Amino acid sequence: MTLCVNCGVELDDGLKICPLCGKDPENKGEQEKISGNYPSDIIQLEKKETRRYLWELSGIIAFSGIAVCTILDLLTGKGLNWSLFSDVSITAAWVILTLYLFAYKRTLIIVTLQMLAILTALYFIDLIATGREWFFPVGLPVTFAGFIAAGTVIVLYRVVHLKGMNIIASGFIALSGYCIITEIIFDKYLRGFVDLQWSLIVAVSILPIALLFFFYHYRLKKGNRLDSIFHI
Amino acid sequence: MAITSHRFPYFSVSLGSGIFWHFLEFNDQLPRIQVEEEIPCTAFAVKRRNEPLYRVIIKGKRISVEFTHILTDGGGGLEYLKSLVYTYLTLTGKHISTPGEIILPGTPVSKEESEDGYIKFFQKLPPPSKLVRAWHLPFKLNKRPRLRVIRAEIKVDEILAISRKLKVSVTEYFVSVYFFSLQKIFISSKGFGKKEKRKVLRIEVPVNMRNKFPTRTMRNFSLFVLPEIDVRLGTYTFEEILKSVHHQLQISTDIKQISRFLSSNVSYEKLLIIRIMPLFIKKMVTAVIYRNLASKRWTGMVTNLGLVTLPGEMEDMIDSFELIPTPPNRKVKSGCALLSYRDKLRICFCDITQSTEVERHIFRHLSDAGIHVKILNNNYKHGV
Repeated sequence: MTLCVNCGVELDDGLKICPLCGKDPENKGEQEKISGNYPSDIIQLEKKETRRYLWELSGIIAFSGIAVCTILDLLTGKGLNWSLFSDVSITAAWVILTLYLFAYKRTLIIVTLQMLAILTALYFIDLIATGREWFFPVGLPVTFAGFIAAGTVIVLYRVVHLKGMNIIASGFIALSGYCIITEIIFDKYLRGFVDLQWSLIVAVSILPIALLFFFYHYRLKKGNRLDSIFHI
Repeated sequence: MAITSHRFPYFSVSLGSGIFWHFLEFNDQLPRIQVEEEIPCTAFAVKRRNEPLYRVIIKGKRISVEFTHILTDGGGGLEYLKSLVYTYLTLTGKHISTPGEIILPGTPVSKEESEDGYIKFFQKLPPPSKLVRAWHLPFKLNKRPRLRVIRAEIKVDEILAISRKLKVSVTEYFVSVYFFSLQKIFISSKGFGKKEKRKVLRIEVPVNMRNKFPTRTMRNFSLFVLPEIDVRLGTYTFEEILKSVHHQLQISTDIKQISRFLSSNVSYEKLLIIRIMPLFIKKMVTAVIYRNLASKRWTGMVTNLGLVTLPGEMEDMIDSFELIPTPPNRKVKSGCALLSYRDKLRICFCDITQSTEVERHIFRHLSDAGIHVKILNNNYKHGV
């Protein structure tokens, strides 16, 4: 009769190694073999699995939506019309969700690929609607400018040590810059010349608020955290 | 086997696919007889046309039967196995004068044996209360093939003596030991996320519904109860766990309480929206629901099929009986089955993780309580 002193059990004939602790019961000098994954190497399967399930579920919902739109369009009209727009939009939304689920915490990859996904969607929408008319003069630069503005704020958020009202102020400045660029692009496309109007009003309204936020952040509060400010 | 299978015609079916539901269609093909492989309970090719949903497996003096849960549960499977062994023994010249309650070949097949217990005993009742998610074992999974089986044998007298001393049943005692071991692992894994700490330990304990309702059905008729230990409230002593498990199992296996689970399960398939949903959508949705909702509700599983009784003449010819639990999944990574025969109780763990911590803690606890535990060699040499 062989006994495993580690586990307090008898081992059946022919068992050279205890299946519970992995130790040779006859080798008294051998240290107890601790399984490599307990408790120090416990893995966090939960979050990964949750993301994968969410992705599968979103895939089912997205492609069911595409199927429903396409079938309805085919049944109600002659051929594929409006469903092409919804199909492109749903696919783009699903691709973006996929990015957030799998490129988790890789901000640069998420922002870059998200921009590419939106640009591709806009390109196809333009192609379907007008045969490639507004994408290159308007869609591409406006989207690109938007991502540059958002990217600048994200970089500032990462770089700045004390985060608070200064980030909101930076967002306001980026927004006013984005409005000005957008108006320039639209003016050039629609009228052929640039005449800034509404974007300047937005910028003039926002900039003093941004300056106030900077003043509040750096002179009065010296870096109160955002979650403290907006805590409910 | 042909003789026995003829006596159980309701098992001679294969899985068909309709537009809205799967259905069982009569299939006169005999189940396969296979030589036992290293890994038990491998998947059935249910999608293959005319594929039987059970099989007979042999190795040396050992006979096993594997059923899909579509057909029957442990209770029904055991009746088939007993009848199969009886037929085998009589064909090999053994004389069994009093077969007792064994279903004999050639006896008339009662309609009750093939009835759907869930539908027969369904009554619309308020659903059971919703459950928070259960904590899961945080161990890495084995590489494929994942399943690892650890089998052990203890003396019925020893565990029965301790259970009686503590005034609980063997199942209640073992479930408590299981909980206590899970709690140890839970405590050891502290610091692995706040979310993990907001969960409870919960064990699925299947209940043989034939003991609750007057039926002789051989088809699947089992449900489960879910005793739990809320570790958010603090750490429990073994005595506290034992007391809690005892009362929880007493209450939840009450016929009124368990009828709520039956009602809840059957209600879904009676919903019009479910009934008119095409099968392929049902399959996709149920797969997602099972993975994300059902299997997240419990941490482990303990099933006790109880004491197997045979006529005295047969008992001398059979060394042991054993039950392998339903293989676990990626969430509920471990399961355990108990089965008593004569003076021995066999404990069988099915696990897909690289860790043996659950088994170690449980067997250590039993051993410390004075129960002699013998770990069995999986290279089976003898016995039926």
